[in-house]
Amino acid sequence: MSSNHNETASGELPKRHKVEGPQKHIVGFILSLALTIIAFAAVAAGEINETFTYIILVAMAVVQVIIQMAYWMHMKDRGHLFPIIGIISGVVVVFTMVIMALYWVWW
Amino acid sequence: MSAHDHAEGHLPHEPEKATLDARNKILGFWLFLGAEVVLFGTLFAAFLALRHSVGDGPTAGELFQLPMVFGATMILLTSSLTSVFAVQAMHHHNKKSMVTWLIVTILLGLAFLGLEIYEFVEYVHEGHKFTTSAFSSSFYTLVGFHGAHVAFGVVWIALVIGQVFKKGLTVVTAPKVYISAMYWHFIDVVWVFIFTVVYLMGKVAG
Repeated sequence: MSSNHNETASGELPKRHKVEGPQKHIVGFILSLALTIIAFAAVAAGEINETFTYIILVAMAVVQVIIQMAYWMHMKDRGHLFPIIGIISGVVVVFTMVIMALYWVWW
Repeated sequence: MSAHDHAEGHLPHEPEKATLDARNKILGFWLFLGAEVVLFGTLFAAFLALRHSVGDGPTAGELFQLPMVFGATMILLTSSLTSVFAVQAMHHHNKKSMVTWLIVTILLGLAFLGLEIYEFVEYVHEGHKFTTSAFSSSFYTLVGFHGAHVAFGVVWIALVIGQVFKKGLTVVTAPKVYISAMYWHFIDVVWVFIFTVVYLMGKVAG
Protein backbone atom coordinates (compact mmCIF):
# COMPACT_ATOMS: atom_id res chain seq x y z
CA MET A 1 0.00 0.00 0.00
CA SER A 2 2.89 2.31 0.53
CA SER A 3 5.42 1.33 -2.06
CA ASN A 4 4.22 3.77 -4.70
CA HIS A 5 6.63 6.51 -3.70
CA ASN A 6 9.67 4.94 -2.19
CA GLU A 7 12.32 6.23 -4.54
CA THR A 8 14.18 8.07 -1.81
CA ALA A 9 17.90 8.60 -1.42
CA SER A 10 18.27 5.17 0.12
CA GLY A 11 15.55 3.35 -1.75
CA GLU A 12 16.35 0.15 0.09
CA LEU A 13 13.86 -0.06 2.88
CA PRO A 14 13.49 -3.60 4.12
CA LYS A 15 10.25 -5.08 2.84
CA ARG A 16 9.09 -6.42 6.19
CA HIS A 17 8.81 -2.88 7.55
CA LYS A 18 5.62 -1.35 6.37
CA VAL A 19 6.23 2.34 5.92
CA GLU A 20 2.92 4.04 6.45
CA GLY A 21 1.19 5.71 3.54
CA PRO A 22 -0.49 9.09 3.70
CA GLN A 23 -3.97 7.51 3.63
CA LYS A 24 -4.52 7.18 7.37
CA HIS A 25 -3.37 10.74 7.97
CA ILE A 26 -5.74 12.03 5.34
CA VAL A 27 -8.52 9.98 6.94
CA GLY A 28 -7.65 11.65 10.26
CA PHE A 29 -7.71 15.05 8.57
CA ILE A 30 -11.08 14.52 6.91
CA LEU A 31 -12.61 13.23 10.15
CA SER A 32 -11.25 16.24 12.05
CA LEU A 33 -12.54 18.54 9.35
CA ALA A 34 -16.01 17.00 9.47
CA LEU A 35 -16.18 17.22 13.27
CA THR A 36 -15.05 20.85 13.18
CA ILE A 37 -17.67 21.76 10.59
CA ILE A 38 -20.42 20.00 12.57
CA ALA A 39 -19.42 21.97 15.69
CA PHE A 40 -19.38 25.33 13.88
CA ALA A 41 -22.60 24.55 12.02
CA ALA A 42 -24.37 23.63 15.25
CA VAL A 43 -23.55 27.08 16.64
CA ALA A 44 -24.04 29.03 13.42
CA ALA A 45 -27.48 27.50 12.87
CA GLY A 46 -28.50 28.72 16.31
CA GLU A 47 -31.78 26.82 16.14
CA ILE A 48 -30.90 24.07 18.56
CA ASN A 49 -31.45 24.52 22.28
CA GLU A 50 -28.51 25.59 24.39
CA THR A 51 -27.89 22.48 26.47
CA PHE A 52 -28.03 20.23 23.44
CA THR A 53 -25.58 22.48 21.57
CA TYR A 54 -23.15 22.23 24.49
CA ILE A 55 -23.40 18.46 24.42
CA ILE A 56 -22.74 18.40 20.66
CA LEU A 57 -19.75 20.75 21.03
CA VAL A 58 -18.10 18.80 23.83
CA ALA A 59 -18.71 15.48 22.07
CA MET A 60 -17.22 16.76 18.78
CA ALA A 61 -14.15 18.17 20.57
CA VAL A 62 -13.49 15.00 22.56
CA VAL A 63 -13.86 12.75 19.52
CA GLN A 64 -11.66 15.02 17.42
CA VAL A 65 -8.91 15.08 20.04
CA ILE A 66 -8.96 11.29 20.33
CA ILE A 67 -8.74 10.99 16.54
CA GLN A 68 -5.86 13.46 16.30
CA MET A 69 -3.91 11.78 19.07
CA ALA A 70 -4.48 8.33 17.63
CA TYR A 71 -3.62 9.19 14.04
CA TRP A 72 -1.20 12.10 14.24
CA MET A 73 0.52 11.68 17.55
CA HIS A 74 0.95 8.00 16.63
CA MET A 75 -0.77 6.77 19.76
CA LYS A 76 -2.45 3.94 17.96
CA ASP A 77 0.94 2.62 16.87
CA ARG A 78 2.46 -0.05 19.05
CA GLY A 79 4.83 0.84 21.89
CA HIS A 80 2.76 3.75 23.12
CA LEU A 81 1.38 2.27 26.33
CA PHE A 82 3.37 4.59 28.56
CA PRO A 83 2.34 7.79 26.77
CA ILE A 84 -1.28 6.64 26.79
CA ILE A 85 -1.16 5.98 30.55
CA GLY A 86 0.52 9.36 31.02
CA ILE A 87 -2.02 11.29 28.99
CA ILE A 88 -4.97 9.52 30.61
CA SER A 89 -3.65 10.32 34.09
CA GLY A 90 -3.11 13.93 32.97
CA VAL A 91 -6.69 14.08 31.70
CA VAL A 92 -8.03 12.66 34.96
CA VAL A 93 -6.12 15.28 36.96
CA VAL A 94 -7.30 18.10 34.68
CA PHE A 95 -10.91 16.92 34.68
CA THR A 96 -10.96 16.70 38.47
CA MET A 97 -9.30 20.07 38.75
CA VAL A 98 -11.67 21.86 36.39
CA ILE A 99 -14.76 20.31 37.99
CA MET A 100 -13.51 21.18 41.49
CA ALA A 101 -12.55 24.71 40.54
CA LEU A 102 -15.89 25.36 38.89
CA TYR A 103 -18.52 23.51 40.90
CA TRP A 104 -17.06 23.29 44.38
CA VAL A 105 -14.96 26.41 44.66
CA TRP A 106 -16.38 28.98 42.33
CA TRP A 107 -20.09 28.50 41.93
CA MET B 1 27.93 5.86 19.79
CA SER B 2 26.37 4.90 16.53
CA ALA B 3 25.35 8.38 15.51
CA HIS B 4 28.16 8.73 13.03
CA ASP B 5 27.87 5.25 11.62
CA HIS B 6 24.49 6.12 10.22
CA ALA B 7 25.40 8.11 7.18
CA GLU B 8 22.47 9.30 5.16
CA GLY B 9 20.94 6.50 3.18
CA HIS B 10 21.76 3.99 5.89
CA LEU B 11 19.18 5.18 8.33
CA PRO B 12 17.13 2.65 10.25
CA HIS B 13 13.42 2.32 9.53
CA GLU B 14 12.29 4.69 12.26
CA PRO B 15 15.32 6.94 12.75
CA GLU B 16 13.60 8.88 15.54
CA LYS B 17 13.61 5.80 17.79
CA ALA B 18 16.92 4.26 16.77
CA THR B 19 18.93 5.14 19.86
CA LEU B 20 18.21 4.87 23.58
CA ASP B 21 18.92 8.58 23.82
CA ALA B 22 16.21 9.30 21.26
CA ARG B 23 13.67 7.05 22.97
CA ASN B 24 14.39 8.78 26.28
CA LYS B 25 13.86 12.16 24.63
CA ILE B 26 10.49 11.06 23.33
CA LEU B 27 9.48 9.72 26.73
CA GLY B 28 10.64 12.94 28.37
CA PHE B 29 8.63 14.89 25.85
CA TRP B 30 5.47 12.98 26.75
CA LEU B 31 6.07 13.87 30.41
CA PHE B 32 6.43 17.51 29.39
CA LEU B 33 3.13 17.27 27.48
CA GLY B 34 1.48 15.90 30.63
CA ALA B 35 2.58 19.04 32.46
CA GLU B 36 1.34 21.19 29.56
CA VAL B 37 -2.07 19.52 29.75
CA VAL B 38 -2.31 20.47 33.42
CA LEU B 39 -1.14 24.02 32.68
CA PHE B 40 -3.80 24.56 30.05
CA GLY B 41 -6.32 22.85 32.33
CA THR B 42 -5.83 25.55 34.96
CA LEU B 43 -6.22 28.30 32.34
CA PHE B 44 -9.40 26.68 31.02
CA ALA B 45 -10.76 26.37 34.57
CA ALA B 46 -10.09 30.08 35.19
CA PHE B 47 -11.69 31.05 31.90
CA LEU B 48 -14.80 28.91 32.48
CA ALA B 49 -15.24 30.40 35.93
CA LEU B 50 -14.87 34.00 34.75
CA ARG B 51 -16.37 33.99 31.27
CA HIS B 52 -19.66 35.62 32.26
CA SER B 53 -18.00 38.31 34.38
CA VAL B 54 -17.89 40.91 31.62
CA GLY B 55 -18.43 44.04 33.71
CA ASP B 56 -18.91 46.99 31.35
CA GLY B 57 -17.02 45.29 28.52
CA PRO B 58 -18.44 43.43 25.53
CA THR B 59 -19.70 39.86 25.94
CA ALA B 60 -18.33 36.87 24.09
CA GLY B 61 -21.39 36.77 21.85
CA GLU B 62 -20.93 40.41 20.76
CA LEU B 63 -17.22 40.03 20.21
CA PHE B 64 -16.49 36.78 18.41
CA GLN B 65 -16.72 36.44 14.64
CA LEU B 66 -17.20 32.79 13.73
CA PRO B 67 -15.84 33.01 10.14
CA MET B 68 -12.48 34.29 11.39
CA VAL B 69 -12.27 31.59 14.07
CA PHE B 70 -13.21 28.98 11.49
CA GLY B 71 -10.45 30.24 9.18
CA ALA B 72 -7.88 30.06 11.98
CA THR B 73 -9.07 26.56 12.84
CA MET B 74 -8.69 25.39 9.24
CA ILE B 75 -5.19 26.85 9.04
CA LEU B 76 -4.05 25.11 12.20
CA LEU B 77 -5.71 21.82 11.28
CA THR B 78 -4.01 21.84 7.88
CA SER B 79 -0.67 22.66 9.46
CA SER B 80 -1.05 19.64 11.71
CA LEU B 81 -1.55 17.51 8.61
CA THR B 82 1.51 18.97 6.89
CA SER B 83 3.67 18.31 9.95
CA VAL B 84 2.57 14.68 9.96
CA PHE B 85 3.52 14.56 6.27
CA ALA B 86 6.97 15.79 7.29
CA VAL B 87 7.35 12.92 9.75
CA GLN B 88 6.17 10.53 7.10
CA ALA B 89 8.75 11.88 4.63
CA MET B 90 11.33 11.33 7.36
CA HIS B 91 10.26 7.69 7.62
CA HIS B 92 10.81 7.47 3.88
CA HIS B 93 14.26 9.02 4.46
CA ASN B 94 13.30 11.78 2.07
CA LYS B 95 15.01 14.82 3.55
CA LYS B 96 13.97 17.28 0.86
CA SER B 97 10.28 16.48 1.09
CA MET B 98 10.50 16.50 4.90
CA VAL B 99 12.01 19.99 4.97
CA THR B 100 9.43 21.24 2.45
CA TRP B 101 6.54 20.02 4.61
CA LEU B 102 8.14 21.55 7.71
CA ILE B 103 8.42 24.89 5.92
CA VAL B 104 4.76 24.69 4.85
CA THR B 105 3.92 23.98 8.50
CA ILE B 106 5.83 27.06 9.62
CA LEU B 107 4.12 29.26 7.02
CA LEU B 108 0.69 28.05 8.14
CA GLY B 109 1.71 28.67 11.75
CA LEU B 110 2.69 32.24 10.85
CA ALA B 111 -0.62 32.73 9.02
CA PHE B 112 -2.45 31.58 12.13
CA LEU B 113 -0.45 33.98 14.30
CA GLY B 114 -1.14 36.84 11.90
CA LEU B 115 -4.86 36.15 12.08
CA GLU B 116 -4.74 35.98 15.87
CA ILE B 117 -2.87 39.28 16.14
CA TYR B 118 -5.38 40.89 13.79
CA GLU B 119 -8.18 39.47 15.93
CA PHE B 120 -6.71 40.81 19.18
CA VAL B 121 -6.14 44.27 17.68
CA GLU B 122 -9.74 44.26 16.50
CA TYR B 123 -11.00 43.33 19.98
CA VAL B 124 -8.96 46.09 21.62
CA HIS B 125 -10.55 48.57 19.22
CA GLU B 126 -13.94 47.33 20.31
CA GLY B 127 -13.05 48.05 23.94
CA HIS B 128 -12.05 44.53 24.94
CA LYS B 129 -8.70 45.21 26.57
CA PHE B 130 -6.73 42.97 28.92
CA THR B 131 -7.95 44.82 32.00
CA THR B 132 -11.52 45.46 30.84
CA SER B 133 -13.11 42.59 32.75
CA ALA B 134 -12.38 39.24 34.36
CA PHE B 135 -13.64 37.70 31.12
CA SER B 136 -11.20 39.69 28.98
CA SER B 137 -8.22 38.92 31.26
CA SER B 138 -8.89 35.21 31.33
CA PHE B 139 -9.60 35.21 27.58
CA TYR B 140 -6.32 36.90 26.67
CA THR B 141 -4.39 34.74 29.12
CA LEU B 142 -5.75 31.48 27.73
CA VAL B 143 -5.80 32.30 24.01
CA GLY B 144 -2.61 34.36 24.25
CA PHE B 145 -0.84 31.50 25.96
CA HIS B 146 -1.84 29.23 23.13
CA GLY B 147 -0.64 31.86 20.63
CA ALA B 148 2.69 31.98 22.46
CA HIS B 149 2.93 28.21 22.07
CA VAL B 150 2.35 28.59 18.33
CA ALA B 151 5.07 31.26 18.13
CA PHE B 152 7.43 29.03 20.11
CA GLY B 153 6.63 26.11 17.83
CA VAL B 154 7.40 28.18 14.73
CA VAL B 155 10.81 29.15 16.12
CA TRP B 156 11.50 25.59 17.28
CA ILE B 157 10.69 23.99 13.92
CA ALA B 158 12.73 26.68 12.12
CA LEU B 159 15.75 25.84 14.30
CA VAL B 160 15.27 22.12 13.67
CA ILE B 161 15.21 22.77 9.92
CA GLY B 162 18.45 24.72 10.27
CA GLN B 163 20.04 21.81 12.09
CA VAL B 164 18.85 19.31 9.50
CA PHE B 165 20.43 21.45 6.79
CA LYS B 166 23.68 21.59 8.73
CA LYS B 167 23.94 18.00 9.94
CA GLY B 168 21.67 16.10 7.58
CA LEU B 169 18.99 13.63 8.55
CA THR B 170 20.62 11.37 11.13
CA VAL B 171 19.56 9.39 14.17
CA VAL B 172 20.42 12.51 16.16
CA THR B 173 18.36 15.02 14.18
CA ALA B 174 15.43 12.69 13.40
CA PRO B 175 14.07 12.62 16.98
CA LYS B 176 14.15 16.43 16.98
CA VAL B 177 11.95 16.54 13.90
CA TYR B 178 9.63 13.94 15.39
CA ILE B 179 9.32 15.72 18.74
CA SER B 180 8.76 19.16 17.23
CA ALA B 181 6.01 17.66 15.05
CA MET B 182 4.44 16.10 18.16
CA TYR B 183 4.54 19.50 19.85
CA TRP B 184 2.79 20.99 16.85
CA HIS B 185 0.03 18.37 17.02
CA PHE B 186 -0.39 19.14 20.70
CA ILE B 187 -0.88 22.83 19.88
CA ASP B 188 -3.62 21.83 17.45
CA VAL B 189 -5.24 19.57 20.06
CA VAL B 190 -5.33 22.46 22.54
CA TRP B 191 -6.85 24.67 19.85
CA VAL B 192 -9.70 22.18 19.40
CA PHE B 193 -10.68 22.85 23.00
CA ILE B 194 -10.15 26.59 22.65
CA PHE B 195 -12.43 26.99 19.65
CA THR B 196 -15.00 24.75 21.33
CA VAL B 197 -14.95 26.14 24.84
CA VAL B 198 -14.00 29.78 24.24
CA TYR B 199 -15.48 30.69 20.86
CA LEU B 200 -18.35 28.33 20.12
CA MET B 201 -19.64 28.08 23.69
CA GLY B 202 -19.15 31.83 24.05
CA LYS B 203 -21.31 32.33 21.00
CA VAL B 204 -23.97 29.94 22.29
CA ALA B 205 -24.14 31.67 25.66
CA GLY B 206 -24.52 34.98 23.84
